[in-house]
Amino acid sequence: MIDLAIGAELEAEVERVRGLGREFLRPLGIEADQRGAPVPPDHPFFAMAWRMGLGQPLGVEERPGRRGGARRGVVLAEEMSYWDRGMSVAMPGLGLGGPPLFAMGTPEQKERLLAPFRDREHPHWAAFGMTEPGAGSDVAAIETSAVRDGDAWVLRGAKTFISNAMRADWIVVWATVDRSAGRAGHRAFVVERGTPGVEDMRYEHKMGLVAYESSSFTLRDCRVPAANLLGGDRHYAERAGFKGAMRSFNATRPAIAAMAIGIARAAFDVARDFARAHYALERPVPRYQRVREKLARMARKLEVGRLLCWRAADLADAEQPNEVEASMAKAFAAGIAQEATGLAVDVLGDAGVTADGYVEKLYRDVKAMDIVEGTGQIQRIVIARRLVGLPSA
Amino acid sequence: MSFRLALSDEERLVQETARRFAEDRLLPRLRAHEQARGVAPELGREFAALGLVGAEAGAFVRALVLEELAAVDPGAAVALDGTGPAIGFPDAAAAGCRAVVVDDVDDRFRLHDGRLDGEAPWVPADRIDVAVVLKDERAHVVREGFRLTAVKPCGLEAAGASRLVLAGTPVAAVVEVRHGRAHLRTWVAALLVGAARGAHHYAMRYATERTAFGRPIAHHQALAFLIADLAIAVDAARLAVWRAAAALDRGETAEWEAATALAEAAEQALFVGPSAVQILGGHGFMKDHPVEKWMRDIRTLASLGGGREAAEVAAAGLAVEHEAGLR
Repeated sequence: MIDLAIGAELEAEVERVRGLGREFLRPLGIEADQRGAPVPPDHPFFAMAWRMGLGQPLGVEERPGRRGGARRGVVLAEEMSYWDRGMSVAMPGLGLGGPPLFAMGTPEQKERLLAPFRDREHPHWAAFGMTEPGAGSDVAAIETSAVRDGDAWVLRGAKTFISNAMRADWIVVWATVDRSAGRAGHRAFVVERGTPGVEDMRYEHKMGLVAYESSSFTLRDCRVPAANLLGGDRHYAERAGFKGAMRSFNATRPAIAAMAIGIARAAFDVARDFARAHYALERPVPRYQRVREKLARMARKLEVGRLLCWRAADLADAEQPNEVEASMAKAFAAGIAQEATGLAVDVLGDAGVTADGYVEKLYRDVKAMDIVEGTGQIQRIVIARRLVGLPSA
Repeated sequence: MSFRLALSDEERLVQETARRFAEDRLLPRLRAHEQARGVAPELGREFAALGLVGAEAGAFVRALVLEELAAVDPGAAVALDGTGPAIGFPDAAAAGCRAVVVDDVDDRFRLHDGRLDGEAPWVPADRIDVAVVLKDERAHVVREGFRLTAVKPCGLEAAGASRLVLAGTPVAAVVEVRHGRAHLRTWVAALLVGAARGAHHYAMRYATERTAFGRPIAHHQALAFLIADLAIAVDAARLAVWRAAAALDRGETAEWEAATALAEAAEQALFVGPSAVQILGGHGFMKDHPVEKWMRDIRTLASLGGGREAAEVAAAGLAVEHEAGLR
């Protein structure tokens, strides 16, 4: 029989996130949203959190299967995002830079690139640079080029919407050595901070999730040492380049889905508390039944979505294929989370569309959950490929 | 250790046994059972002999079995698990009984001097041993003196279909509802999951074989996406049912879990059924394929045991106090 208890150990971790969330994550997320700028890297909160050993929940796990890592990941991702999803991405740590390093990096690269992250005094970030102005879901279409020149590679192109890029110690930048080869031509380079040729680094202005920086930059004849080709030449001789990237997607989809659930749950709680405070519970006021039905729908959907996330994570921990299940969780959770935050705005009515009502922020924040790590449409393509052999475009 | 959603080997075996029975024994007689408004008696004995949903079977195992049966024939599933709807009312229905449970959400039954008056326009049976009428938190068990008049149902023909009339019918026993309604809702929800899965799988296979505009229709993105959404719908509903059934087996009241399981299963199945017919196009509308039957069965199931409406009203009543946090 299935067992849905998260267990005492994880519960204690959730409790810790709760404390952090109540005191820091949510207030800082709201403050950043109202100021319209990300929380700066030198904010004392980051140093404090770093010293406490609190990195991103998708952090320094070498393999998701180890120590129930995927299940821990979805639970903590939900709780972090419940308090503030923007802040959960802003948290110091390897972020999405971790999975490709662990999956592809040589021992020397791991040693060298992880070293700064062992400094527990000052917070550190890493970043993952795939998306380009002209290549989002269609990852194979990236145009940033890499040309070998002596003991270095020269990168030319532009990357966009890269989380934490400006504050990162290093960015895993994807480039192509042969555009006609499609994904087989992809290579991952570690571009360290201060490398000449990383130019026009700037924050993008977002509708939501303001607390963390999404940055764009240009690579202008950017020389990267050959030693920073992730995995070295041998890795790509085995044509594992793109797979390495996709593995990082596959492991994170359930966690991204769980973040959507966390946002939906925040919206549910606000709407439920509003209903308790503003409606006479025993007296049938005209709108009250509608409000209750919406609350029931929100709670039901977010809990079903959570089960889909948990199933995908459970499979990952059991080291069983979870591609379809991970995409199902992502497609479903992102969809219902958008619906739930919208319903919360309905419940609050005209109070719901002001900053004081909070739910309008969640409504803006959650939209990204159906876009990042594969849009809802991409998830459905992944599912349909498996179920009915939908050919790749 | 943290949560697990995998089935045990034993549960897989039960599932596999039920699946084989459904595919080997029920599938060839799908339309015969429909026309006969009942399952062939020897199949009833054969199913009982498998011992899959005996008295000791928990809600979780029962949900697994019901899904497998309903994935082929939801009406036959209702007929074969005769005590199923009453399982949450101890001593109401003995093993081998055929029971129906009416949740009197519209207050159609009147109680006076230990007798019941009223009628239910539809119960999924032509012959019963026991009827249980739920009025709020009381379950009234009736073992004789009911009148059943055959009606023509939208679906679930293999279970039979009747108007149930009680006129001064003596109540044999009154028990507290307690977990009974949650069991009933989980039972209906499991049937909905099965019916939806059957419809989805059939339509999915058809879509890979049927070609239009030079390729399998499943490879047109409009249908590929629909098929993906139907797969998500079935899995979402199943997980909701599993959660409710597991809560019941742990002895929890499971009121919220069961109400939301039925609400979810009904919503998703009502999406899947008509969509499966749509995928088959004109063929879907014809009785040559079973998808039209599953669509009708789903529509009918969603009104069973108080149906989706009562489940949603119950969930709405609980929502203002509900805690959705992690624990």
